[in-house]
Amino acid sequence: MSSVAALPTISVRRPASSLRAHIESSLGERLSSTLLLRERATRLTVPIGIAPLDLLTGGLPRGALSEITGPPSSGRTGVMLSALAGATQRQEVCALVDASDSFDPASAATAGVNLERLLWVRCSQPANVKRNAIGMKYSSPGFAFSSVLEQVLKIADLLLQSGGFGMVVLDLGDVPMESARRVPLASWFRFRRAVEPTATVLLLIEQEACAKTCASLVLRLQSETIFVSNPDAFDRSQYDLRFVSHNVGYVNSAVSISRSSSVGHASLLRGMSFRAEMVRSWTQRKPPQSVGTHFEMRTAL
Amino acid sequence: MFACIYIPDFPVEAIVRAEPLLREHAVAVLEGKPPLVRVIALNEKARQLGMEIGMTKLQAAVFSRNPSPTNDSTGLAVLRQRSCEQELSARAALLDVAHAFTPRVEDTAPDTLLLDLVGLDRLYGAPAKMASDLAARLITVGIEANIAIAANPDAAMHAARGFSGTTIIPAGSEAQRLGVLPLQVLLDAFEISPQKKISGEAPRRQEKKLREQILDTLERWGVRDFRTLALLPEHALASRLGERGTQLRRLARGEGMRTLVLCAPPAQFEEALELESPVETIESLSFVLHRLLEQLCARLEARSLATHELRLRLQLERRVADEETITIDELKPPYPHNVAHKPIFERTLRLPVSMRDSKVFLKLLQLELAAHPPGAPVIRLWITAEPAPPRTAQRGLFLPVTPEPERLEITLARISSIVGERRAGIARLLDSHRRESFCVDRFALMASGIPHISSPTLSDANNHIPLALRILRPAQPLHVDLSAGRPDTLISEKQTEKTKIQGKVLWSAGPWRSSGDWWTEKMKQDIAAREPSGPWDREEWDIALTVTNLDQENKDDIGVALYRIYRDVATGNWFADAIYD
Repeated sequence: MSSVAALPTISVRRPASSLRAHIESSLGERLSSTLLLRERATRLTVPIGIAPLDLLTGGLPRGALSEITGPPSSGRTGVMLSALAGATQRQEVCALVDASDSFDPASAATAGVNLERLLWVRCSQPANVKRNAIGMKYSSPGFAFSSVLEQVLKIADLLLQSGGFGMVVLDLGDVPMESARRVPLASWFRFRRAVEPTATVLLLIEQEACAKTCASLVLRLQSETIFVSNPDAFDRSQYDLRFVSHNVGYVNSAVSISRSSSVGHASLLRGMSFRAEMVRSWTQRKPPQSVGTHFEMRTAL
Repeated sequence: MFACIYIPDFPVEAIVRAEPLLREHAVAVLEGKPPLVRVIALNEKARQLGMEIGMTKLQAAVFSRNPSPTNDSTGLAVLRQRSCEQELSARAALLDVAHAFTPRVEDTAPDTLLLDLVGLDRLYGAPAKMASDLAARLITVGIEANIAIAANPDAAMHAARGFSGTTIIPAGSEAQRLGVLPLQVLLDAFEISPQKKISGEAPRRQEKKLREQILDTLERWGVRDFRTLALLPEHALASRLGERGTQLRRLARGEGMRTLVLCAPPAQFEEALELESPVETIESLSFVLHRLLEQLCARLEARSLATHELRLRLQLERRVADEETITIDELKPPYPHNVAHKPIFERTLRLPVSMRDSKVFLKLLQLELAAHPPGAPVIRLWITAEPAPPRTAQRGLFLPVTPEPERLEITLARISSIVGERRAGIARLLDSHRRESFCVDRFALMASGIPHISSPTLSDANNHIPLALRILRPAQPLHVDLSAGRPDTLISEKQTEKTKIQGKVLWSAGPWRSSGDWWTEKMKQDIAAREPSGPWDREEWDIALTVTNLDQENKDDIGVALYRIYRDVATGNWFADAIYD
């Protein structure tokens, strides 16, 4: 009876949080900290800059690894540039490690990226072959990197250790999936650990998610619709195509030309729409596969 | 009140400053052309070993080979050739420290400086505190010196040259304190005083002869120190030795006041070192560089300056077939004659912000040398820093965190060593209609706080996100079949892992013709392939192609990819230029 009396008495009418606090204070250090439920730390996020995607994901989490995946022409680069534009306009210093040297500064400027705050690292070309001077046994550690992926990983390490970057983007968009899959998981774990205590957004652009559980957010993109000014020139049987009606004068003339002859300017690319699917999210433990949204991008015409 | 800084055995101290480990050894400095190489300076330990100034190299070599009776490693004398560059560096360092202490400095001799301390007691405290402060500052630049403070400059100079360590002489007790000093000190100091400074070899020889005569005369009279000279009657001394005699008597009594001949602080920050044996590895060179950089940074710190440009010059043992080496004749004077006809390898580090961290400089120089090896062993090196005001940054509470400039520089240097030069930086768009008209500039942090005002973009105007391009570098050659003048099917000529472009064209738009620079001379094809310059004339098409999902699991999925392709009008060849993404 005496042992029962020693136990803390709990009122069942109390709310769960106060019950938990009461139990923890009563048991004190006798309860192992590993058994306690840890509340998830609220992470700061930065907007991607595309309203439907921001609504879907809540933004890109700081101090975490995010992945944007998709095949070519799926809008990955547009999303990346939009995020970079937002970061550079917030006066943050950003870095883009471009594995395939495919970054287009003109597109970035059009998207609103402040190029002066973006460090662009072009990895695709092999490192310069240096003179192995006779009589000078200088070691040249950098020139052993033959693989582009090795370069990317090494540079990402350097940038994350350097600190102070608001966003670091690793663009593996054109790296074959077979190669990207060969990146050891330990590298992604290391990046995650390196970026965790910082306010850096580590963004990975690739064809298929490869960071597995290290990623806090995985977004899969897919092209959905191509907007052209003259749908007649398109083979509708194979792909969804929509007629652009907001530029009536131009489109009408184009249509008439297209019907009269096969002059080249008969059709114009006006934009694309994409479907985004959230595969993994730091806010939801298991986001359903169907959680998705649509967004559009337009050409500069 | 005046202070005097005197460096005994200055040539030895200049060498010991560059090689601090030698401070524990007996060091003798040699000078002259073989076979007339003689000892010109010694430190105290070398004197204790029995070495003397004027010894030949052979005589001095005996002390460097035979251990002393104490039989420890410091018992061996170290012989070094005189190094004018190191003496210049040591003198410049001395001047830097003195000018940091007071702007009123007289450069009396290479080993002697006089400082006017009038009014500085409120800033630095009592004379003893000033002397210790000055000594501590000298130690930071690697110099050990005698310091004396007295009421007049000559008394301070005599005390510094006569007594080792720190000496403070209260006003009125100069004659008493200086009385014990030998006459040699007085005559040496008298020779270097600004009133007696003489130029030319013949007058100097004559002056030396006269000085010896006076010394002989005084010794014959039994006058061997300051006190006995001060006691001599003035008129009798003047009648026998003339005006010089009265001057010497006045100085021996610690009397007299003169105006300092002020000098300007040195404008150049350079440290030099001549290596005993050629250095072949970057690791060995790093130790030397580290030492020189620490001294350079200490000098900059003494003057409250930093640097934004660091120039490293290496004199190589032999010339290499390299456009980056030049001979000494192509460099600006002054350089000693013995460095002529040796190739000089020069590298310059231009820093985006002014810095003063020797470790950062060392790392940057290591990476620079790793990327651009000199190609031959190094026998001498110079490091020059361009002085600049130190960086001042006013950070705001609400400004985003940016990389530290020092760490960022090292990171950029490391990245450049991985990807190559000019492969990392800021993309700057050029004012041209040519595709790919941009250049990569060095990455430097702008001062944040001013919001970036971007030019109006599509997204601003229509609230639409612009469609982006991924550029294929280099452009992929294509084989294109046309149908009614439009691309129908295409296949890339070189199937690479990066891009596999092939298939039937679903949709196409074009051609958009663009040309430019047709007024410039046609460049050779190989140059045109490397550099985006010269005339261009192309017809661009936007095309949609079916692409198969390469994923093994979803191999049947078919998507559409949008490409930008073009036909080079001059050659008629087709290329894939970019992907809309």
